[in-house]
Amino acid sequence: MEKILLKNIDKPEAYKLENYVANGGYKSIRKALEMEPDHIIQMVKDSNLRGRGGAGFPAGLKWSFIPKDPTLQKYLCCNADEGEPGTFKDRAIMDKDPHLLLEGMMITCYAIGASIGYVYIRGEFEYGASMLEAAIDEAYEKGFLGKDIFGSDFSLDLYVHRGAGAYICGEETALLESLEGGRGQPRKKPPFPALAGLYAKPTVINNVETLGCIPAILEKGPEWFKAIGPEKSPGTRICGVSGHVKKPGLYELPMGVPLRELIFDHCGGMRGNKPLKAVIPGGVSAPMLVEADIDTPMDFDSMAAKGTMLGSSAVIVMEEGTCMVKVAYITSRFFSHESCGKCTPCREGTSWQTRVLHRIEHGEGRPGDVELLESLCENIFGRTFCPLGDGAVMALRGALKHFKEEFVYHIQHKKCMVDS
Amino acid sequence: MVNIKINGKELKVEAGKLILDAARDEGHDIPTFCYQADLMGIGSCRMCLIEIEGQKKLQPSCITPVMDGMSILTDSPTVVSARSSMLEFLLTDHALDCPVCDKGGECELQDMVYKHGPHTGRHAEPKHRHHGKDYVLSPVIIKNSNRCVQCTKCVRVCSEIVGVGVLGSIGRGIHQEETSFFKTYLDCDHCGNCIEVCPVGCFMRLPYRYTSRSWDLKSADSICTYCATGCRVVIEERDGLLVRSRAQLGVGLNSETLCARGRFGYDIVNSDDRLTTPMVKKYGKLEPATWEEAFGAIRKGFRSSSPARTGGLISPRMTNEEIYLFSKLFKGPLQSNNVDSSMRWSPEAVEGFAAATSMTAGGVSIFDCMDSQSVFVVGTQLSDENPVVDYIVRRISNANGVQVAIASSRGMKLDSCASQTLRHAPATEGDLLGAAALLLADKDAVRFAGNADFNSIKATGIDTLAARSGVSRSEIEALVSSFGSSETVGIIAGTEFLRFPEGSASLALVVEALRGAGKKVTVIPVLDRCNQRGAWEMGAHPGLGTAYSREGVKGLGFAGMMNTASEGKLDSIYIVGENPVVEYGDGNFARDAIGKVGFVVVQDTFMTETAALADVILPGVTFAEKDGTYTNQEGRVQSINRLLPPPGDAKRDLEIISTIYNIFSGTDDVPVKKSAGIFAEIREKVSTYAKVDLSFNNEKNTFNDLDNKESLVGGSSASLSMPQVTGSAASSLASDGHAGFTLVTGNHLYHSGRLSLRSEILGGFIKGAIVEISEEDADRLGITSGEKVTVAGSRYKAELVLKTRKGSASGVAFIAENYNDVPVHKFFRRGESVASVKIARS
Ligand SMILES: Cc1cc2nc3c(=O)[nH]c(=O)nc-3n(C[C@H](O)[C@H](O)[C@H](O)COP(=O)(O)O)c2cc1C
Ligand code: SF4
Ligand code: SF4
Ligand code: SF4
Ligand code: SF4
Ligand code: FES
Repeated sequence: MEKILLKNIDKPEAYKLENYVANGGYKSIRKALEMEPDHIIQMVKDSNLRGRGGAGFPAGLKWSFIPKDPTLQKYLCCNADEGEPGTFKDRAIMDKDPHLLLEGMMITCYAIGASIGYVYIRGEFEYGASMLEAAIDEAYEKGFLGKDIFGSDFSLDLYVHRGAGAYICGEETALLESLEGGRGQPRKKPPFPALAGLYAKPTVINNVETLGCIPAILEKGPEWFKAIGPEKSPGTRICGVSGHVKKPGLYELPMGVPLRELIFDHCGGMRGNKPLKAVIPGGVSAPMLVEADIDTPMDFDSMAAKGTMLGSSAVIVMEEGTCMVKVAYITSRFFSHESCGKCTPCREGTSWQTRVLHRIEHGEGRPGDVELLESLCENIFGRTFCPLGDGAVMALRGALKHFKEEFVYHIQHKKCMVDS
Repeated sequence: MVNIKINGKELKVEAGKLILDAARDEGHDIPTFCYQADLMGIGSCRMCLIEIEGQKKLQPSCITPVMDGMSILTDSPTVVSARSSMLEFLLTDHALDCPVCDKGGECELQDMVYKHGPHTGRHAEPKHRHHGKDYVLSPVIIKNSNRCVQCTKCVRVCSEIVGVGVLGSIGRGIHQEETSFFKTYLDCDHCGNCIEVCPVGCFMRLPYRYTSRSWDLKSADSICTYCATGCRVVIEERDGLLVRSRAQLGVGLNSETLCARGRFGYDIVNSDDRLTTPMVKKYGKLEPATWEEAFGAIRKGFRSSSPARTGGLISPRMTNEEIYLFSKLFKGPLQSNNVDSSMRWSPEAVEGFAAATSMTAGGVSIFDCMDSQSVFVVGTQLSDENPVVDYIVRRISNANGVQVAIASSRGMKLDSCASQTLRHAPATEGDLLGAAALLLADKDAVRFAGNADFNSIKATGIDTLAARSGVSRSEIEALVSSFGSSETVGIIAGTEFLRFPEGSASLALVVEALRGAGKKVTVIPVLDRCNQRGAWEMGAHPGLGTAYSREGVKGLGFAGMMNTASEGKLDSIYIVGENPVVEYGDGNFARDAIGKVGFVVVQDTFMTETAALADVILPGVTFAEKDGTYTNQEGRVQSINRLLPPPGDAKRDLEIISTIYNIFSGTDDVPVKKSAGIFAEIREKVSTYAKVDLSFNNEKNTFNDLDNKESLVGGSSASLSMPQVTGSAASSLASDGHAGFTLVTGNHLYHSGRLSLRSEILGGFIKGAIVEISEEDADRLGITSGEKVTVAGSRYKAELVLKTRKGSASGVAFIAENYNDVPVHKFFRRGESVASVKIARS
């Protein structure tokens, strides 16, 4: 299978500009600069490329919302916050092949008319940030960034901005708030960023992986891209597999590969050949699936049909013997720790939920706790300001749906049902 | 208009209206925490969730506008359960220590839980606590974050309305806490608006702490007695002590906001230094006396003086009724037009200012002024002098994109929302506006052909005027062009025009030129004493009668009275509520002059330096102990209501003045005890007050429509003249010789005249007198903020603490007029407000 995103990462010193060029890079941007911006947007629309940050929103459509008024300052923000537990795909691109991201950003900026782009990178990614900064410096030296890039009359500046370690800053409006120097909390929508985003100017926010697909689409055309995987969510996907498999790691595969194939063919199957108990298909916000579901194809629509989501395609595999109460507790603790504090149901609800799970996990469960948790889920879900609170509920509901008896056992016997 | 349904009822409502407002208009109760009409919506507390049929998720009604065809349910079972679950969430980490919480009984969380449930708790885990004991954040704020509902109204009011922005949220999730930077002690405006907006017992008043439960308070609707903005307040007492002054959401033009003076300056009422018995001079010494003795002495004292040799000064903090009767006493039975209410300013300056700001045309609402495309603030240190007007300008200009231009010598807080700031030399408002008028009148030369003021500035020329003001011609052109591009222009003009009266003629020309160009111009005069406008309109002016009618014979203003007195030619004087010995331009001169007056009556609430010179002292009362009306700077007439009895033997001022009136009118009328009768007479006799409607007073305005235009005074047919004044300020500076800094004065943010100095709470905000210069000047002198400096002029020298101010013009020094230990007027020539001074480290 031909790789789009990870094609260079195993090549020596792929992060160097000269090597990126030698591997065929920076051709698409030259081609793009010869084209009408609208034509590029149309190509991306035609490619059916969907956002890789989690929500799967069509990228071309998002770009087309940007007003055409040439007097307006516009911005591109690359979402490199990669905070969803289990996810480690964007970092590979930034660490190993930063010019791929830069080229994707250049083309996108040209298409939407942005003269400034930011990479908002997760604070802990110190190495990735340094790689990106070095790559940007190289690009400036070559005239690939700055005034009149590649000898065209298009000028572009790119900056790297490091976050301070909050998961919520991956949510696009909180990202903008943080980028402006404010407190990382989501903004109300409307207005949507496409009309009033960074500094209240039209702004596109795209994930690293989404932007990484752009050079290839320019080079080989939308039809080629659409032919990979299901037509409605085409292209390849970097699956980051962690957990109890033999070969955890990053796998770039066409969209729509069934979970079973990923786990048992690509990742070499379960560690110690133990039975599979559950799998989280798209980062911890995605409700878990069980053995019976693993023939589901990994694409946006098939996962949604199963009541979960492809999300960031971070696949967490759990074997028989994993305590689901503990999984639920740890996940819930993550969400309540990361709740930004803005809205009542998430701030108070996730924390309450965590306190109850902590008790159950530590043998202090009380009768009625399961019903209480279910009721809390109901009172949080759909009522929060942003999807973070919903994520906390979906994760817990997933565990309760498949493994309620483990929770009940924990409460009654003050210990684990499984011995792990 | 769009068609919507609320709970099944079909309605037509304005497009873009919030669902919350549409539902509330229909009488549906939707609880809210984070929503506040005047703050930007954030939709965070989720109390206001409602159901829109066809949408899966509940929506926050406080940030969601109506859309055509929406069918909204405000009480569906899901909505009701969401509401009670939000409250349940809020209670999980809530301290729930109502019995020891100052907010108990007037707490929005208590009320909401009572109404919307849940009435049993399911949260049985340890609560998160932000801290142990309550912590003190400022001289007036004590904080308990364990009761917080995280609505962030405190943070938003401080940054969006007050413009100070010293509060923020720290921590994330349940650790989120609204407080100061690292919880450090605040050096802020001390306005207490953060306390007022807090729905729970989180931001609390330190001075009120543990003094009362809310249900044990008695309250009365009143008006702040400091500046002339006319903020509505509720004053509250417990066991005879005034313990709180607060503002109410949706009441008065200020709604929930006040400044430090209005919210914390109430304790003057409780002062131990109040006058409680009349005093009469016996054998050269003031002795306590009965009212009969006091009135007897007055009967004798005044009888022997001729009309031309008697005079009266009444404070512009007295009510309309009192001032009306006082003026009537002098201009009637005592047959003297020697009446004044503006000790600091000449009668001519008053007339010129009233003319330039079109005060004869009747009251003008600040909201109408702000409804302009561009607003020009000039001749006022608005952020310090009239803080609530500063809030209104900030809020409305940010929300509606009004272009604000500010001309002043000193930097001010409001600068941050201005699109243009012009920094001119002190006392050169006239030059700056003269240049602007010349630029504006360029195309309209015919209109001004015969105008003497115009011809005189024209002879000077734009470049000379600009050079004198220290503002470049291009900046003035930019100002004029911003007027040019607006169809509606608001002008907010303040007391510098009274201090430097040569500016009024130019201001009038600018207004006329703009109107000539077909623009709608709305001018608001801003003043620093609560009833200054009312005092003028009640005829407490030597040349003007009620409603600016011209008196046949012009009497003496206060300066004239003092000159006459110093020559030994004043037989008697009656001073109400003023202390010229310390507040008049030349205090020592006033002391000597008053010493030479044959018979002196002083009516006041405190023993003052002036009262010490009196033959008779009459103890009056404060705003909390009387009824009456004030007319604010806009011309809005509002009432105050008595809450407390007069202390000791003190009497209400109206009763005192009416008794004296009766003595000299020879009638045997009983003294007036209620103000209503006099107000009826005012309505009858003062044409502009005929239609004033006070019925809105003391009523809560549920729609948050803060503008009660029915209480604005009407226009009069009187025509005022623009008195000729020559550049006195410039000549006085010239005679001083240039010493480095030009000293000016005005009110401090925490004070208004000397009255507020009696407030212990306000007194706690600043210690000692301060001189303020720009940051750059301080750098140049190598002196840092907080150091002691000596300010030396040709008449006076004093040691003060230096403070720097961002954005002030170079070479400008400011000392507020409110310090007892450094009376700024000693630097000035009598009757003037500007001087040259040297500043050096002491
Ligand atoms: C709580 C939360 C966290 C998120 N974190 C990330 C993230 O770390 N990286 C990311 O690309 N998108 C993240 N998203 C999704 C973004 O809001 C946004 O949808 C995405 O960046 C859009 O890019 P795309 O269209 O290219 O996917 C997050 C969303 C939420 C609600
Ligand atoms: S759901 Fe609410 S509290 Fe949670 S992260 Fe989003 S805005 Fe913040
Ligand atoms: S008292 Fe006023 S200035 Fe100080 S923090 Fe509160 S709102 Fe802000
Ligand atoms: S302190 Fe009061 S006003 Fe501020 S967020 Fe908490 S509850 Fe709201
Ligand atoms: S001093 Fe003026 S601004 Fe302050 S509360 Fe009183 S009336 Fe309002
Ligand atoms: S009042 Fe609407 S969300 Fe707080």
